[in-house]
Amino acid sequence: MPDADPGLPRDLPPDWPPDRPPGLTPLGDGALLLRPVRARALLAELGRRPLPGVLEAVPALDALLLRYDPLGTDPGRLAAALEERLAALETAAGAPGRTLTLPVAFGGPDLAWCAAHAGLDVSAFVEAVCAAPLEVAFLGFTPGFAFLSGLPPHLQMPRLPTPRARVPAGSVALGGPWAGVYPRDTPGGWRLIGHTDAPLFDLARPDPVWWQAGDRVRLVPADA
Amino acid sequence: MPEPGREPGPRPGLEVLRPGLQTTVQDAGRRAAALGVPGGGAADPLSLRLANALVGNPPGAAALELTLSGPTLRFQADALAALCGAPFAASLDGQPFPLGRAVAVRAGQTLATGATARGARATLALRGGLDGEQAFGSRSTDLWAGFGGHAGRALRAGDHLTWGDASPARPPRAFLAPGLQTATGPVHVLRVLPTPEAAPPLLAALTRGFFTVSAQADRMGARLSEGVPAPHDPARVSLPNVPGAVQLPPGGQPILLLPDAGTHGGYPTPLVVASVDRPRLGQLRPGDRVAFRPVTLAQALAALRAQERAIRGVEAALRGWYKEA
Repeated sequence: MPDADPGLPRDLPPDWPPDRPPGLTPLGDGALLLRPVRARALLAELGRRPLPGVLEAVPALDALLLRYDPLGTDPGRLAAALEERLAALETAAGAPGRTLTLPVAFGGPDLAWCAAHAGLDVSAFVEAVCAAPLEVAFLGFTPGFAFLSGLPPHLQMPRLPTPRARVPAGSVALGGPWAGVYPRDTPGGWRLIGHTDAPLFDLARPDPVWWQAGDRVRLVPADA
Repeated sequence: MPEPGREPGPRPGLEVLRPGLQTTVQDAGRRAAALGVPGGGAADPLSLRLANALVGNPPGAAALELTLSGPTLRFQADALAALCGAPFAASLDGQPFPLGRAVAVRAGQTLATGATARGARATLALRGGLDGEQAFGSRSTDLWAGFGGHAGRALRAGDHLTWGDASPARPPRAFLAPGLQTATGPVHVLRVLPTPEAAPPLLAALTRGFFTVSAQADRMGARLSEGVPAPHDPARVSLPNVPGAVQLPPGGQPILLLPDAGTHGGYPTPLVVASVDRPRLGQLRPGDRVAFRPVTLAQALAALRAQERAIRGVEAALRGWYKEA
């Protein structure tokens, strides 16, 4: 516990918690967290028609963080503009994302374990993983690391009890509800089922990161 | 940019004789969190702006960020330099090097910076702006990812740095009023905005008294020593981190997030430090005392606008000097 009372005011500020519609939460004085049903569609919409004062839109699972410039944007006006955009989105058709194909050499150190955990032999397991309709839910953890959603329950793997100190770049892995690829050597606690040579992260490119939130991803055996 | 009519020669440069504890190239940071890339940038962005203004640079030009103990640099070209932030000891060829003003440095001179007794960081800006590797639109060094700035790492002895070839200028006589610079502790009362994750008992525990900055304090975050009862919510999904967030891991020791923090986090963030006080996070030093004072959004924004007016006043005045010079 912190030590002696420094004589700080104990009264709660009068406008907290803020009285705002659910699904739109201020985080500090420079960000709003949105949890709209159509977070992904809103992200695409903001990419097409940026809102003035918004510095960046950061997707998460079923959520979108908007960082704004508090010196140039009134948070109340921004919230109103967002609600307007959201209302318009409810009726508009969603924009189709890209579909990316990721060649994978299956054969990671945990492949046999994962297949057994799923109750399948290795070739059936690989086939099932390749059939999963994966989607980039969001990027985070390390630059270019994508959290891929869409694994059916029987392919969802418990994380390792102790993370590996070093997972080689390009490792394709399963952890909890997610699939992912480590873009660079890092520690990691997911189960490694394969390896890809896809250039996921290359600072020499205009777009250094290969994928973005909303992209659909299919794994295909590299030798196929 | 080279001036018209001047031969583009080699970029002016310096040699690092001693690197200091952790000296990195930093600018105003990047906006690529949607790609999993931390914002980065100067831990004390106010020091960066003021130091850049003093030498006539744009506010976000790349500069050196000194941490706790600074470097020794031998200049191979004339330069105009300014050091802002924590009161680091500094000397130029043995003569005291003043803080908070622009100083002309001659080729062959050695700038030696030592330690600081208060605060943690300072910015050394050079007229023309430091060169450095760009990544995602910024020259900031991301130490963990290993890109940006000088080879994606902190300076080492023997490194050679260069900067843009700006038009020569005499240093303005102006020096910064001490109140303009980021406060350097050792006691920090930080204005915070509670989030919906600040349930009343948790908010009361977080605002009851002072915490101590632990030795685990770097550009990613500063962990505080004293714990509070942390809510346990294994179902909480990872959400994007906001700058200045106060994270509460299950152990209950709050972590103040700095610019190199990961883009998403799974721990509750009951408080967010008001933007006006975010530069102070870069001055947190192990052993410093920190308390949180909740403010309203209106109070936070009013304080930010007042601070911004003061800084823009300085920037405008110095721009005027360099325009006439």
